[in-house]
Amino acid sequence: MKGNKEDTPVVQEESVGKGAGSSYRPVTPCHSLSLPVTPKTINFRLVARLSGMLLLVMAMAMALPLAVSLHRGDGAQYGLLLSGLVLTAIGLLLRNIVGRNVSYELRERESFWITSVAWLVVPLAGALPYLFTGVLGTFTDAAFEAMSGFTTTGSSVVERPEEIPAGMLVWRAITQWIGGLGLILFIVAMLKRLNKGSLQLYSAEFSGTQQRKLHPHIAKSVSRMWRIYSLITLILLALLVLAGNGVLDSFCLALSTVSTGGFMTAQYGLSGYSELTLSILTVFMFLSGVNVALLYNLFTFRWRQLRINHEFVLYAGIFLFASASCAVAFLAVGNGVGESVRYSLFHIASTISTCGFYTDAPAVWPFWVSAVTFMLVLVGASAGSTGGGLKLRRLMTLFIYLRNYLTRMVHPNVVFAVKIDHRVVPGDYVNKIFGFAFLYICFIIGGAFLLTFSGQSISEAFCYAAANISNLGPSPLINSMGANLDYALLPPLAKWTLMTLMLAGRLEIFALLAIVSPSYWRRR
Amino acid sequence: MKRTDIKAVLRFLGIMLMSEGGLMSLCLVPAWHFADGTAGSTAVCSAFTLAVGCLLWYRHQRYTQIDDRRMSYLLVVLLWLVLSLFATLPFLTTGATWSFTEAWFEAMSGVTSTGATVFPDVAALPSSVLLWRSMTQWFGGFGIVLLVLALTPRLGINKYSLYTAEASGADNTGKTAVRTVVTVRRTLAVYLVLTLAFIVALWASGMQLWDAVNLTFTNISSGGFSVNSDSIASITPLQQYILATAMLLSGVNFTLLYLIFTLRWKQIGHKLDQLRFYLLLCLLAVAFVVATLHWHSGYSWSDALRLGTVQTVSALTTTGSVVADCTQWWTPAVFVLLILSVCGGMAGSTSGGMKVMRVLILLRNARSIMRNRLHPRVVNPVRLNGRPVSSHIINNVMVIFMVYGFTLMLGVMVLMLCGVNATESIGAAVGCLTGYGPGLGASGGFGSYAAFSPAAMWFCSLLMLLGRLECMTVIVLFLPRFWRK
Repeated sequence: MKGNKEDTPVVQEESVGKGAGSSYRPVTPCHSLSLPVTPKTINFRLVARLSGMLLLVMAMAMALPLAVSLHRGDGAQYGLLLSGLVLTAIGLLLRNIVGRNVSYELRERESFWITSVAWLVVPLAGALPYLFTGVLGTFTDAAFEAMSGFTTTGSSVVERPEEIPAGMLVWRAITQWIGGLGLILFIVAMLKRLNKGSLQLYSAEFSGTQQRKLHPHIAKSVSRMWRIYSLITLILLALLVLAGNGVLDSFCLALSTVSTGGFMTAQYGLSGYSELTLSILTVFMFLSGVNVALLYNLFTFRWRQLRINHEFVLYAGIFLFASASCAVAFLAVGNGVGESVRYSLFHIASTISTCGFYTDAPAVWPFWVSAVTFMLVLVGASAGSTGGGLKLRRLMTLFIYLRNYLTRMVHPNVVFAVKIDHRVVPGDYVNKIFGFAFLYICFIIGGAFLLTFSGQSISEAFCYAAANISNLGPSPLINSMGANLDYALLPPLAKWTLMTLMLAGRLEIFALLAIVSPSYWRRR
Repeated sequence: MKRTDIKAVLRFLGIMLMSEGGLMSLCLVPAWHFADGTAGSTAVCSAFTLAVGCLLWYRHQRYTQIDDRRMSYLLVVLLWLVLSLFATLPFLTTGATWSFTEAWFEAMSGVTSTGATVFPDVAALPSSVLLWRSMTQWFGGFGIVLLVLALTPRLGINKYSLYTAEASGADNTGKTAVRTVVTVRRTLAVYLVLTLAFIVALWASGMQLWDAVNLTFTNISSGGFSVNSDSIASITPLQQYILATAMLLSGVNFTLLYLIFTLRWKQIGHKLDQLRFYLLLCLLAVAFVVATLHWHSGYSWSDALRLGTVQTVSALTTTGSVVADCTQWWTPAVFVLLILSVCGGMAGSTSGGMKVMRVLILLRNARSIMRNRLHPRVVNPVRLNGRPVSSHIINNVMVIFMVYGFTLMLGVMVLMLCGVNATESIGAAVGCLTGYGPGLGASGGFGSYAAFSPAAMWFCSLLMLLGRLECMTVIVLFLPRFWRK
């Protein structure tokens, strides 16, 4: 973790903004003054080139579902092949013709562009197979399913997943897996040449969490993240197969779990699976809500990191407390002991990691569980994990600030700093987190407002909005609030609203808002 | 906490109780005039309140100084609790209700000028109780302005909250009077003049004096109680528009109103940002609601305009007077009304909610953060009325916003645990926390909170208190450090 400055030009302690201790920042009185480095235009050709590369990766990723389809002969092979070819053609066009001889210089504006374009282009590309194989009839549905996959939300408009071709199940799972760590990390991992700008890319997608990176070199740290991510997926896959599940099911579930996506392979959730399978999934859902960097330390036997990471301690604490209280609540209304405990653990792990799996609930559902669920949905998983939500680290910052505020009300002259893991969080950084939380809530309110136009009641609208912005998806929450779970029945306006929310939640809002803000487009 | 501080608090409570008792005695007038047999009990209640107040004040009249900041917070919270406690007396003794829970709910709803009622049929209540309900709102509405203006500087809250910019907002010009006494006097003058003006206006438009007095009391304080079971639905359109004006004014900062009334245009410039945002918000929301009423719910243009305007203004200023059963309107319109009541009116007015000033700061801060991410080297401070707002104030506004949001969410959860259904608990939590009053479902529109369980009622009254004191003052009491020596 100790980078030395000569060989690591991009090393910075935090991924967002420039905190205390960063290099000299010229202070200009207002933005009408021109700055030394003034971007004239956006480097669109670089954007095109990177989008092209992403499309090619998508096309390559279609090879696996294609192979499955060919093997099983389930009829999806032509659609998959066709979409693969289309993507290859467009990808090659963008990469080799529009984007040839580009300079790899990245500034903030390009990085926001790349992030946003990637997140718009890739879901559209991912929608093609659904359309071409005829699994989903309308463009809205296909785009919804793809967006839901790439943002690891897992809200599905496929009514009966068990009846669609196996190749498409695999494709659904793969979209989540790619989206799990983030498309941008994909780019960063692919492009060692981007080292200079990759930090900006990295921070555009992983905003506001102030993480230590795994390695001073951003590309190396990203490749470590991908390795650990793949390793966990493989372990889970092996365990699921050993537990006696079919290879196809295991594959889909493993990818869904590790990416905290939540696509399931059957209509009624996981009710058909054995207790053993559900227990394995519970453990891995819990793990996938943990910071990937921390998991890396865990798997490379650096145990000490766990203990001094207060976010992890809090995450585990909330998980245990919520599960225990839900188990008690289930017991109190007269369900069996084993059932209550098992279901509570499964349900809380699924919710806090924003995975969103569900299975048969115990016969009587106490209201307490709904209340806990709703809270946890907004809280979300750890920062730097594949999960969504506001993220615990941000909430910790907010609560520490709140505590300081209350103390200052009593003792006005006391000066406090917000400290996490024994490190001071800079003041402007706290402000960013507050701003983020505010926008997050604004998005929920705005989303809920748009949902009411399509006939949802106010409480349903809030549940849908919260479940989708936190990338939870097929939520037991909505069920427990007495609403209908069926995304397929929503009108197009509602679907597009939810897609926007998923994207906003996954991109952590700023990147999405940045390119629609006027000051982004202003030439200076 | 020193003994002298406690005595000073008791003295202050005594003074407030004496005022409350005095107002209560005014309820004797309708009791005699309408001769509904409540004069005796009203007199007893009023005498008792006065006596307790006098006793407290007399015993501790030497202690005027509160040194400990903590006592001041305690005082503010105690003030609302004690005032509500004594405000329950007329409800209990005149037979309006026999349940203390209901009386407490109604009293708290009055004193915090919320306007949520437990009486399904208000018209059946004795006249003295009706006037007392209106009176509590009028009293409470002014109380909060007074608190903000006069007490917060002493509380030291001003150092850390918005009120630096707010309570002393007019004083920042440096030319108007700085001293709070003057500000309080001015505010009182504005409040009294407005009350009188609207009573006269309503009376002139053909309303009974009794109705005019009550409706003015409840609407100028952004309370929302009514003497009719259908709130303000059955009065003439002209009178509804007059009341809408009263509500709109009740959401404006009182110092600003004073400056406007005394034609000091030059000093107004320092508050224009908020006023502009407040009016803009109002205009946009009215336009939206009126449009949905016309095109979706099929009202004629004139009806849509009247109902939409009055109800939207009522929501934005968190008054809660109901002009039509708005829970039956199209859901997006209902949603807008809910969000408006969370926004609330201007700081330093009688309205509740988050206050538009905070919303404005939050929005501008979000914009500034976004610009900062795009152009990290550009400094763009959040400005209000042309002056940069310090990051300290911004973060504090953020904290209040987060706490408010969290309280709202917790409120919905607890109400659901008390057995209220989802939509209705959202409505009730918003209604009680923001001071709007009516919720959704059975508690919304012309309905009442009568069907709520006692637990839900107690919780709702807690929400009202939290909302009126803007959460932090109450929450700080739960800090262990607060009680430590």
